Amino acid sequence: MITTFQVAYKNLLRKRMRSLLTLVGIALSAWVLVSLLGFNNGYETALNKDIDDMGFQLMIMAKGCPYEAATMMLKGGTGLKYMKESIINDVTKEPEVEKTTPILMAAVFDPNKGESGGIAAYFGVEPKSFTQMKTFLTFRQGGWFTDENSYEAVMGYEAAELEQREVGDMILIPEKNVQFKVVGILNRAGTQDDGTIYVPLKTAQKVFSRPDEITTLGIKVKKGIDSTRFEEKMYQLPDVQVVSLAEVKQTIMKLISTAKVMVLSIAMIAILIAMVGVINTILMSVHERFQEIGILKTIGAMPWDIFKLIWIETLILCAIGGVLGIGLALILSKVTGILIRYIMPYAPSGGLILIDLKLVLMTMAAILCIGLLSGLYPAWKAGRIRPLEAIRSEIG
Amino acid sequence: MRAFSRKLIHFEFCNLQSTICIEVFLALLLVLEGYTGAWGAVGCDLNDPDRDVARLFSESTGYKTQYVSVDRKGGEPLLTKIEARLGDQFHGIYETIDVPYTIYEIFANKKKIGYIHGVNQKGQFGGIQVFVSLDLEGRIKAFYIQKMTSKYAGKLRDANFGRQFFGLTLKDFELYDVVSGKASGKVDGIKNPAPEAEADFRAALRATKKNLILMDEFVYSSLATSSNPGGAQK
Repeated sequence: MITTFQVAYKNLLRKRMRSLLTLVGIALSAWVLVSLLGFNNGYETALNKDIDDMGFQLMIMAKGCPYEAATMMLKGGTGLKYMKESIINDVTKEPEVEKTTPILMAAVFDPNKGESGGIAAYFGVEPKSFTQMKTFLTFRQGGWFTDENSYEAVMGYEAAELEQREVGDMILIPEKNVQFKVVGILNRAGTQDDGTIYVPLKTAQKVFSRPDEITTLGIKVKKGIDSTRFEEKMYQLPDVQVVSLAEVKQTIMKLISTAKVMVLSIAMIAILIAMVGVINTILMSVHERFQEIGILKTIGAMPWDIFKLIWIETLILCAIGGVLGIGLALILSKVTGILIRYIMPYAPSGGLILIDLKLVLMTMAAILCIGLLSGLYPAWKAGRIRPLEAIRSEIG
Repeated sequence: MRAFSRKLIHFEFCNLQSTICIEVFLALLLVLEGYTGAWGAVGCDLNDPDRDVARLFSESTGYKTQYVSVDRKGGEPLLTKIEARLGDQFHGIYETIDVPYTIYEIFANKKKIGYIHGVNQKGQFGGIQVFVSLDLEGRIKAFYIQKMTSKYAGKLRDANFGRQFFGLTLKDFELYDVVSGKASGKVDGIKNPAPEAEADFRAALRATKKNLILMDEFVYSSLATSSNPGGAQK
């Protein structure tokens, strides 16, 4: 015996083009929805990974000290403040701390850069602890310093390109008249490391007359630590400022949330349009089968049977459309990621769209619910058709 | 994109009291943006074109900028030709076929009156950026070392040193051997103001010869061809 499901399925096949177009509408809505929710997952995961890759979760420096090359350049190399190296011991003894790396930043005025001179920035680092933090740094040529007291330099890709340096070449620190041998050129990292010249920390302290002093201490905390509480603890140290990357992450997420709300609104509109499409298709179908439904009723079909039949038609459309949309989202996730990366002012590295089983099931459930809601009115209308009126009518 | 990001950030966070937050965000943008950043060789631009063009070409009223690379203009055959004319190969990891060269076309009102062009050159302690102003016949009108790292950079960047290049053309530099540093004719007359920095002095001369050859290939040869299609090139 033919089941209600089979009847519903055959009914949809009677108007193939209309059913197909409705399916496309549902599939596109499902695609947008899955991609958006996948973006929600993926963006945060990718951002977390990038922040982890940066090494430090916290930076400590003397109050009022510019801590990145760009700010240092803007301030003309002035305004650097120093902390005693002994702060490393104070920080390392805290149980929350996994690793630390000290940095001494120095800026030197070079009168022969451009018409009015320019600033050259140098970072004194300890290769051992620094590389543990910045695991993404790789070498195009050479490697790190051979000795912590050596007069050797490692150059970021852009610094080396601008200075036309290769391994074995010499660099000169203007003002100080000190020469360093280039022992390593980093690959382009896309970070401010690209424009930086690294020298051994101890040598930097000697050359820039800052014995036992540093400007920055990068800190990696253990997993699962309450970073806010740890930050508060660090603020107990005298005259330091704490820069937290968790704070930065929150700031980025806040910025991204605006974009997310906009895209979510568009997705909602797409879903509404798809819903109207489904209602329209099923209503048309009910209208065309007005007499047929009347005959079904005269031979004993109850209003609930008709309601069920129409509802199942909606369900089939939504289920197939949902599966197609999810498939489309999975196949095109990389393309969507590239598109988002192009549009967004900032996007972290790695996959931006992360679609997992939970998300697939959740979306499918949402699409089916929307389908069932869309089918309510046409099914109710079909269930209320009066048999005699329908048979007497000229429609169909 | 970076400029846009900065504007956006400023707009979004103008109410935030913590400037630290903005600065860290900018740092992070710089840190992370580059994962998708462009890869390309570094060119040689004037630091402040409005100011520098007026200074290097006093009669100018305006300029246009165009970007050319050996790669796009003629590829490997052109590179081979340029190297042959230079008498030396392009070497190192930075003197490559895809380096974008910025040519400033100089105008007095609407009339083109010359060009300014710069090249990067490896010096003893860092990159040297050598610019020349040229008239429409390819004669040097001004010589400018924008950047040089050396104890003696001041002497080589001095206007008196630059004046020795005035009026010279590619023809004069054709006899200069960039490898041995041997010169004859007018180029031999260029005196090194800092004998201690002989390597940088030679680097400046090599940069000038390369600069003039590139300008000849990029600009003057095509001008000669278009004005006299059947005639011999310079």
